Amino acid sequence: MEKNKKNIIRKIIWLRLAQVLVNQRYKNGDFLVPIHLAMGHESIAVAVDAAMHEQDSLFLTHRNIHYNLAKMGTLKEELDEYYLRGSGLANGRLGSMNLSNPDKNIYYSSSILGNNLPVGCGYALANKMKNKNGVVFITTGDGAIEEGSFYESLLFLKSNNLPSVVLVENNEWSLATRIKERRANIDFSQLAGALDIEYLLLQGNDPFEYQEKINLVRSKALDNNSPILIEVKLTTLGYWFMESEGYPDGKFINYHGGPAPEVDEKEYPQLVSSNEDPLFLLNKYLSVDELTDISNEMSVQLKEDIS
Amino acid sequence: MKYVQYINSLLKEHISNNENIVLYGQNIDAGSCLSGLTRGLSSCNGGLTINTPNSENSLVGVGFGLMLNDVSSVFFMKQMDFLLLGIDQLVNTYNVIRQTKPSASFTIFPVTVDSGYEGPQSSLNNFDDFCSIAGIEGYSFTNKVDAANIISNHLTKPGFRILSTGQRLLQKEVLDLESMYQDENCNYFQYKKGNDVTIVCFNNSLPYGLELYNLMRESSIASSLFSVNSHLHVNYSRILDDIKNSKKLILIDDTKSRNRLSDRFLADVLNACTLKNKIIISRTTTNESFYPCKDELDIDYNKIINDITS
Repeated sequence: MEKNKKNIIRKIIWLRLAQVLVNQRYKNGDFLVPIHLAMGHESIAVAVDAAMHEQDSLFLTHRNIHYNLAKMGTLKEELDEYYLRGSGLANGRLGSMNLSNPDKNIYYSSSILGNNLPVGCGYALANKMKNKNGVVFITTGDGAIEEGSFYESLLFLKSNNLPSVVLVENNEWSLATRIKERRANIDFSQLAGALDIEYLLLQGNDPFEYQEKINLVRSKALDNNSPILIEVKLTTLGYWFMESEGYPDGKFINYHGGPAPEVDEKEYPQLVSSNEDPLFLLNKYLSVDELTDISNEMSVQLKEDIS
Repeated sequence: MKYVQYINSLLKEHISNNENIVLYGQNIDAGSCLSGLTRGLSSCNGGLTINTPNSENSLVGVGFGLMLNDVSSVFFMKQMDFLLLGIDQLVNTYNVIRQTKPSASFTIFPVTVDSGYEGPQSSLNNFDDFCSIAGIEGYSFTNKVDAANIISNHLTKPGFRILSTGQRLLQKEVLDLESMYQDENCNYFQYKKGNDVTIVCFNNSLPYGLELYNLMRESSIASSLFSVNSHLHVNYSRILDDIKNSKKLILIDDTKSRNRLSDRFLADVLNACTLKNKIIISRTTTNESFYPCKDELDIDYNKIINDITS
């Protein structure tokens, strides 16, 4: 396997291990700030990180741990931020939901649904003013796209010919409500098509496929001075089944935020045995022993990082 | 010259001297150009001028995004009530952006809708509310001298603020006054000095104060006249000193806000000064906001003069 590909795999496993470690401390009651873990989102975060160029920028949502960690490559500063310490990534001033990192081109993160999209639009317009050849990546979710700012921002990006990628992480859930329980279906390809914006669907959690496609999308956005809409279907892991009188087989409880009660530290931190878990998918590329060796190595690295 | 033409000339002059600024908003370079407010700005702007779609929430966010990327901008808005759609950005985004101490400038320039007859959904003479909601700097102006100073000092100053004037004033002849004092931030201006009474005007109420000043002068009552331009609470020491001297205060505020800055000012006065008399001219009810009716204050000037001297 190429070294680059192996590094991608290492980063995905590291990203999961880091989140499991945060979750463990969260379960212990260590944090006052609300944190939205993104276990299950590792492939897209690592692929975006790998596809971004030096002059690109990233605008995130309240669920930003995966992108922040992927960009940073270390846990200590982010962990300290969750503890609101002066040594934190933002000197303990932003906490989790607004965590950004300008040194790593993450300029703004918002806890308010749909709020980061217009800010990314303005940043992209400034790039145009300065003849700066970068692509603005803006993440959002299937809940936030219900806000008017999603449509307004796509319209603004397209109207002003701004190279950008709007990436919708579609996990089907908004808090405890599935899409079908709260709204009509939105056909992204038609919605994007109505604004003459190209649309791409990503699903399956293959980081190499994601990276290749995002590389292409990035080039197109630049060549055509246009936004491109990506929908990535994924599952936010950490869900559990709560047994009660009415639900003898357990009631499905979606993970939205806070500690995931049934996620514990283990040697290889895969959570489910299906492709909805990016770590399961890695079996396609490496053996269980190889993956476990990487996991052990990453665990040591993490512990050294935060010690 | 109408006030709108005068403001337009100030904007042109200031923007001509600034490179790489983004001017944007609905109809700012089309049609009447916001009743003439923004007419011709594109031709003197070396940066970018954009006629935007109707997306106020996003357009406020765009200004903050530009600011993050070190590009200054002014977002012109025909009516302040449109800004209600941008409150998420005004509060939540600004609370984050202000921590970064940006070097670029972002100014929102709405017109305060104070004709009153637009009706319940389009009549918002409440500048104080927007400023108080997230500690946003805001400056209103009513005449030649304060407009010139505020636009010159604040339009493209690093940081974020809202600048506004009243819709009624814009269509009137420009009020040409000389100021005898202004603080360095243009928080308030003093126009007249007298020992008998202190008149302090808030929001867009200076024309009422000036009328009162002139009538009192005819009755040989010498008054000081101040207008407060900042919509955030500031240090009012010069005004308080004047009130300590006159011991008589007439406070005029034409806002419809239930969260009046002038109430905080009054608390400062009561804390610092011993008064012989005071008269507060403001709205006793704000129900006029709910139906079309004139926005002007009904002031019985003769009664005011009798009451303050009794």
